[in-house]
Amino acid sequence: MSSAQWTEELAKPVQAYTSTSRDPYLNLSIEHDILTRSASDSLVLFLYVNRPSVIIGRNQNPWLEVNLPLLNPKREQAEIDPAGLGAVDLVRRRSGGGTVFHDEGNVNWTVICPRDQFTRDKHAEMVVRALRSCGIDRARVNERHDVVLDQGQVAGHPDPEDTHSTPYTMPGGDGPTPLKVSGSAYKITGTRRALHHGTCLLSSPNLRIIPDYLHSPLRPFIKEARGVESVSSPVGNILLDSDEFCTAVRNEFARMYSPGEKTPLRAIGEDLLKFGTVAAGYDELRSLKHTYEQTPRFVLSNESDELATTVVDFTIREGRFAHASVYRRGSEPKQIMEVDFPNSHGPKLHEMELLDPSADEGSESWEDALMPLWQGLASAESEKLVSWLRRTVRQGWQA
Amino acid sequence: MMASRAIQRLTTLSSRSLRPTWQQAPRTSHPTRTFCVGARAFEKKYTEDHEWIEIGSDGKTGTIGISTYAAKALGDVVFVELPTADLEVSKGETIGAVESVKSASDILSPVSGRITEANSVLEEKPGTINASPEGDGWLARIELSDVSETEGLMDSQAYTKFTEEAEEH
Repeated sequence: MSSAQWTEELAKPVQAYTSTSRDPYLNLSIEHDILTRSASDSLVLFLYVNRPSVIIGRNQNPWLEVNLPLLNPKREQAEIDPAGLGAVDLVRRRSGGGTVFHDEGNVNWTVICPRDQFTRDKHAEMVVRALRSCGIDRARVNERHDVVLDQGQVAGHPDPEDTHSTPYTMPGGDGPTPLKVSGSAYKITGTRRALHHGTCLLSSPNLRIIPDYLHSPLRPFIKEARGVESVSSPVGNILLDSDEFCTAVRNEFARMYSPGEKTPLRAIGEDLLKFGTVAAGYDELRSLKHTYEQTPRFVLSNESDELATTVVDFTIREGRFAHASVYRRGSEPKQIMEVDFPNSHGPKLHEMELLDPSADEGSESWEDALMPLWQGLASAESEKLVSWLRRTVRQGWQA
Repeated sequence: MMASRAIQRLTTLSSRSLRPTWQQAPRTSHPTRTFCVGARAFEKKYTEDHEWIEIGSDGKTGTIGISTYAAKALGDVVFVELPTADLEVSKGETIGAVESVKSASDILSPVSGRITEANSVLEEKPGTINASPEGDGWLARIELSDVSETEGLMDSQAYTKFTEEAEEH
């Protein structure tokens, strides 16, 4: 496709695309290109599948949400328990909300519309109608704007058009917990466009190991984290063929926005990376700066390590060490020292002692990077703290 | 329609039950008004993107925030991305973003100028935007490069009418 053809596509009042790429950075960049460049009153559907990846929300903390050492296991780490999936990408998306795991067993659906037509439920309802048209009669939208499948026995006979209850919905929220099959996240731009996307779990083979990826070993040592924490929900596979799902969603989208007209799903993909706007978004999403340095402020601390007699609270701002506060534990905690790292120039947490021995560049030793701190402490105290950092902040190989 | 659904519909910016209530907001609560003595030279102006700006008594520094109407439509704000001081912006450019109920929403500058201060209260207490969107929940201060840009904005009466018309959609 030429740049002119893509621009022409983006000008159409109703557009439907499917991606041939499995690259999460590319698919999210294409999605962003559509969001920012499609005609202001246009309605767009975009369906795509990503290779195994962990996608965090715009204002989330990867050290808190993600098991970073598990993402890119290699060599001596290969015996990691439980067995992982090989390389898994970490992506910070541009929309809000929580962390989600993507793989070939789920289809990501996106609807972009004018802001004044947007509601948080509208397109979750669209997906529910699509699922029901495939015979998934337990599907409904819940109060968190997620799509869930009710479990259990028939409990009532609601209006079949009601996308917020099914015959299996128990009054008052009683009964077995519904299983989440698709979340929701949104981005609303200054150009008065609204994006709603979700990840529909159809047949992921990885449901058992996904929780291992989403439990951070660093979590006990992070406090006062600003930003957005994920809310975990029990999930389930719908057990639906992805082509069947895509066709049903396309049909429902077309019924809403272009009844009686043909709205074919146009295949797009890697080809679009040659366009400047897509390439710029792609480079940004892939950058470590975007992934790590957008992290809202938090404190990394060994306070919860009960054996530690010297406790240090590191304030991490924009992914960098900004401040360290050290005190001695005891019946009367005693402040030992405060260290300020130069404004916006402190060492980057994501560059500290990468597990990959080949990553000489950008991999700093704890001893060197936090020198101003060690200088004020007895060497035994310093050694203990370095050893704690080395044990705790284990970061995976970075792609 | 179920009650829970009615709450979700707030995101449409079109729920009848949610009249903007800023008309009743005590003007004295606004930080820039502390030094404002005598007759009001500049009144609060609004954009179609639901931001407000109020010019201080010096006639060239404005305080920017989002309207009560927008704050209600957004729902509980859990994170605010603030502009940094000295940022030069043009009218309509993004100066920040808020996250609420899984939505990341851009905030635009109603005017061109240089950001002089961001409201650091919002870093720790983002919910201040919901509690006091047109007072303590202000977002940033800006030194305007062209004060006449505010002339194209709506006054409170016009803005109320604008939001009421939006509701009728």
